[in-house]
Amino acid sequence: MKIKKLVGIFVVLAFLTIVVLSNVNVLGSVKKPSTYVVIKYYVMGDPPQNDQVQKAQEEWNKILKQTINTGMEIKFIGWADWYTKYNLLLASGEPLDLVYTSSTWLNMWGNAQKGAFKELDDLLPKYAPKLWKQVKPEEWDQVRYKGKIIAVPENLFTHYVNNGFVYRGDWAKKFGIKLPIKDWYTFGKYLEGIKKNLPGVIPYDVTGNSSKASELFSGWVISNTDAVELPIDTGGHKLFWGKSYKDKYTLYSPVFDKTFEEYAKLMKQWASKGFWREDVLNFKGDTTQLLYEGKTGAERAHPDSFSGLRREMDKRQPGSDLQFFAFSDTRNNLVKQPITQDAIAVGRYSKYPDRALMVLEQIRTNQKVYRLLHYGREGVNYWIKDGKYYTPPNFDSNKYGFWTNAWGTRIDAFVLPSINEWEGLKEYYARYNKIAKPYPYGRLVLDLKSIQPQIAALSNVTSTLGTAISFGKVNDPVKAVEEYRAKLKRAGYDKVFKEIQRQLLEFKKLETGK
Amino acid sequence: MERIEKSASYKMSASDINLKILAYTVVGIFALICLIPFVVMTSSSFNLESDIIKNGYCLFPRKFSLLAYKVIFSAPDRLIGSYILTICNTLLGTTIGLFLISMTGYVLQRPDYAYRNAISFYIYFTTLFSGGLVPYYLLITRGLHLKDNYLVLLIPGLMNPWLIILMKNFMKSIPHEITESAKIDGAGDFTIFIKLILPLAKPALATVGLFLALGYWNEWFNGMLFLSTTMKYKPLQLYLYEIITKADMLRNTPASKYIPPQNLPTETAKLATAVIATGPIVLAYPFVQRYFIKGITIGAVKG
Repeated sequence: MKIKKLVGIFVVLAFLTIVVLSNVNVLGSVKKPSTYVVIKYYVMGDPPQNDQVQKAQEEWNKILKQTINTGMEIKFIGWADWYTKYNLLLASGEPLDLVYTSSTWLNMWGNAQKGAFKELDDLLPKYAPKLWKQVKPEEWDQVRYKGKIIAVPENLFTHYVNNGFVYRGDWAKKFGIKLPIKDWYTFGKYLEGIKKNLPGVIPYDVTGNSSKASELFSGWVISNTDAVELPIDTGGHKLFWGKSYKDKYTLYSPVFDKTFEEYAKLMKQWASKGFWREDVLNFKGDTTQLLYEGKTGAERAHPDSFSGLRREMDKRQPGSDLQFFAFSDTRNNLVKQPITQDAIAVGRYSKYPDRALMVLEQIRTNQKVYRLLHYGREGVNYWIKDGKYYTPPNFDSNKYGFWTNAWGTRIDAFVLPSINEWEGLKEYYARYNKIAKPYPYGRLVLDLKSIQPQIAALSNVTSTLGTAISFGKVNDPVKAVEEYRAKLKRAGYDKVFKEIQRQLLEFKKLETGK
Repeated sequence: MERIEKSASYKMSASDINLKILAYTVVGIFALICLIPFVVMTSSSFNLESDIIKNGYCLFPRKFSLLAYKVIFSAPDRLIGSYILTICNTLLGTTIGLFLISMTGYVLQRPDYAYRNAISFYIYFTTLFSGGLVPYYLLITRGLHLKDNYLVLLIPGLMNPWLIILMKNFMKSIPHEITESAKIDGAGDFTIFIKLILPLAKPALATVGLFLALGYWNEWFNGMLFLSTTMKYKPLQLYLYEIITKADMLRNTPASKYIPPQNLPTETAKLATAVIATGPIVLAYPFVQRYFIKGITIGAVKG
């Protein structure tokens, strides 16, 4: 009986070894598997309301079937309550083969901690050798959780998301402001010019919610200090920053610094001068649309969105000469995005992790597959003219509009510059490329479990009183700042500060060995 | 057929008249306050988009335009499908739910049923604690395999513990002697329930039915969690929610930095969708409202 069992086990083991070995030949290049399977790739967002994604899917599956005998199906995680849905999907144990993730807005480390992703160290060199070489060892280090690789970073794609304000060049010139605007006080002068000279226009018609308050304050910190943002979400205002690029292991909180008082005073001034609405905290309008209609003179943007705004403004408000003041312009405080801003992981319960990586390698190395996935079918969903992406004027976007939001797989070499891109954007990019420093916290993985209740309490304070301070909706800014700090202290600020500082010093040990 | 009404022959005193005038004014003003948002929504949906952005919403269309409706009716199948889905779900859910809940309520109050207290407590206990979202999600997806299945809109709402308790308490007021005497006449339990108990429980059926129907009509949460984007038809409320929040989501999520060139619904399109989705209900309401009022009051008096 026992012998029979042993023989059985031996046969099974031998069989498995043969199956595994037959897929990997000695030279390290991957052989085409013999069985056809279809993997699922999960992306964020809602699909186009037409059948174009399915049509493109048929096309890329033809290629993938030929090369690696695998199919790929796109699954969308819709925007309605996306955060809940995304985290539930990872927790549910459903077999996700490829899934988009992000350390900045989709809680990549938190999900890694919960064991949502497969460890890829052994699989990558075996099944995706080209992909394995596309990412440098120090870049792989940035996606390690407890020493194990848990995702593939989007390391070959350059884009900046440094925030700033767009403003109208024609108006600024009219008020005698010297262009370009590079600091908050000059920008305030521009807003004042609008208030005085253009009745019926609200200088900056912003929606006063806590996320906008957070953007404003982070912008102020980047403009007026050398601090570098840490990936810790504290509801409204970001409370925790690295002291500076050079002094990155020292924790710093701008809210407890003089700079915050200055900020609170300036925002109170802006509010009482009427740079935004009286009821800004309840306003729910669309600032972009108002800018297009000439009803407001500013909007928060980053280089890529500015390019789109500029094109649209040139059409709708000819001669408006839209300009961009990036917060980093004031003192060149610009840090590149972490490469984990967008990444692709393999789900813990994936049945075909090997195939998933093969498909990912195909997307990142096969231009045909890449373009089908990102742009659709050429001549149907898009056209190429002088090496640029474009759609003709009579293009029916309801019938043929195409997007898959396949972020995390973008490659500069395959990206088609859009004909809609504003020509001037290149200059901006060139300027940023000169001053941008690499992201210093790529390998920092914070463990916030022990201080989660305090962080929740802090978030509560920042998103209420913090938002009011940001939009100058307080009687006396100096008193409000005092009250704000006292409230944060009561919510457990000191404990959180100590804990994060401790982890930063551990991170220092990891990086410098001291 | 003539009926002499006594109330018509008695004269109203001045204070009565004053009271009536006051009551009518107060109720009238309140009705107006309720009506205004609806009027603004409807008028604005017939207005020109650019005008709305420049000058805000309006009580009467300033610049008449049918563009928003043209956009929606260029592809109406989703909206119509969502309608049909929600109506079917409400009808099915309310009938099946009423049947199950009334049976449960009846059995739980029968004095000759030994385990009634234990089971009542078991049902009541679930209202005090919940496992939380993740276990619920796991139960539906991995235990019941209801993901991307329209039954997920129907099944979870069928047995609501609150409604069972409500039903049970009402059934208590029906004398147990009725059941006993029918038993002596040789009727089976099910016959007793259908022929005797249900007709006597009409007020409770109306109340519970109203709650059930409202719940099913407003169902969106299960749809949001368990119907993926590949499902063409969504519950009506979810369909609305998705349309109205999509633009906000894209503007206010960190993902906004990647906004792909997609057509976001314009202000007027959102309003027009809301008008179409709520319109028929508003029109149907006057015809069914007497049942609503009856259901609520009778349940309250007798309960």
